[in-house]
Amino acid sequence: MPDTGRLLSFPSKACRVVLKPAEALELAEDFLAVPPQGRSDEQRSEAFSNPDVLLALLGSLERMRDTSPRVVFQEASTIYEWLKHAAPVGVFDERDYFVGQSAYLAGSTARLLGFTEEASRWLDRAESHFRHVLNPAPSMANVAYARLSLAFQAGRHMELLELMPSIRLSFERLGMGEETAKCLLLEAMTLKKLGKAPEALSLLDPIQASSVLSASLKGRILSEVGDLHQLEDRFEEAMSAYQLALESFETVEVSPGRADLKAFVGEAYRIRGKSDFALQAIRAAVADYLELGLENRVAYLRMYIADILLSLDRPREAEWEILAALPTIEEQKMVPEGFAAVALLKESVRRRKTDPNALRELREHLQASK
Amino acid sequence: MEISDETGPAVHQEDPFEKEIRVVFQDTLGLIHIALVAHYGLEETEATELEKDLYVWFVRFCMRPGNRSPKEARPFLLVACCQFAREYQRYIVGTGMRETNDKVKRLLDREPADVARDFSKSLELLNYRQHSDA
Repeated sequence: MPDTGRLLSFPSKACRVVLKPAEALELAEDFLAVPPQGRSDEQRSEAFSNPDVLLALLGSLERMRDTSPRVVFQEASTIYEWLKHAAPVGVFDERDYFVGQSAYLAGSTARLLGFTEEASRWLDRAESHFRHVLNPAPSMANVAYARLSLAFQAGRHMELLELMPSIRLSFERLGMGEETAKCLLLEAMTLKKLGKAPEALSLLDPIQASSVLSASLKGRILSEVGDLHQLEDRFEEAMSAYQLALESFETVEVSPGRADLKAFVGEAYRIRGKSDFALQAIRAAVADYLELGLENRVAYLRMYIADILLSLDRPREAEWEILAALPTIEEQKMVPEGFAAVALLKESVRRRKTDPNALRELREHLQASK
Repeated sequence: MEISDETGPAVHQEDPFEKEIRVVFQDTLGLIHIALVAHYGLEETEATELEKDLYVWFVRFCMRPGNRSPKEARPFLLVACCQFAREYQRYIVGTGMRETNDKVKRLLDREPADVARDFSKSLELLNYRQHSDA
């Protein structure tokens, strides 16, 4: 390994020892092990002003994105703010890359956490920096994918189906296999929303047994395959796909994919009239989402639980679930078009006579924007 | 520029990916040096220092998510080389520390990506010759 160069960052440059990737990763992990409130400005400056550590830090945060979205959002937005106000870090296009990548991580986790407007702003910021890096294609494709995930959440399904093939092609050309599979998964999820389960299955069939996918993504794909079978009333096939998904998730920490799987299993049981099993599975999903800090999904499932409880003639418990979910639904503007349903439901709960129609209507709005 | 090939313990423990980066860089170094010295008019010592910066950048560049193998990243290395050289030479000329000739002036006016494309052709030719000699 050579000594560090001395010419760039004209007219002057602070000399710095170049770290090996393994050393940088160790420092990054040490940094992340300290809670943010326990870090000094000096520690932050030391980590963020070293391009090797910064690269390792952003890599670690990317790996943690699904399992700790709240932590990643906080860390990435802190890095972004620091970099925006500090002297340029790294050489050549590196500052733009670091700023862009931190904004991208903040945006993609804000989306997971349900902060859609904020997510969109972060993605704008990411794009404005990625535009200036050498080889922007992979980063720009990631941002484009995140934007289409936002379109999915907002129920803009036709837009997603129109634009996704182009992004998938970009990932294919760039040799980004995992991202290509994620595109197929999102396309399949969209087709499912549009009532096209067979078409969705035909997209996922060729990739579900792929050996190149991460355990987590494989689990997510198999969960979706199970749900598609379930929608087509093939309970046995659904359960066997769920079983395979569970096996894939065995090596994965708590993640949105694993929580989704529990919710899918709950839904399958509910459709077959096994409400107790359904409640158990969905409550397990709620616990996972709570651990992940995904309050929007918690709220969505609490409404589902309330619906089941009402059907079991347990209105008091249903009220608790609704009362626990409504603040998040309102705060996060989860149903901008379901304002009336929210008001009706609130009123009926206040009178302790939960209106099942208002609940159903609200759930339909939530489902459309899920 | 020397990218150490000494047989110290650090080299023995080198990660295969890091080794691949080093090999690709080393294979391209001849062309980089020609670009910096013969085309952009840098002095030998300046070129050597700039090459160190370029290597440090290239290692991190190859580690960015989504970037393909170091070999496939070589065209970007050449673009970065031309960009580095242009920025440096413009700075030196701009501060009045050095006079420049028309040839270098013309090169400084060109987009680094275009210059790098020409160098890439030279690299292809070089590779072709090496393979046909083998």
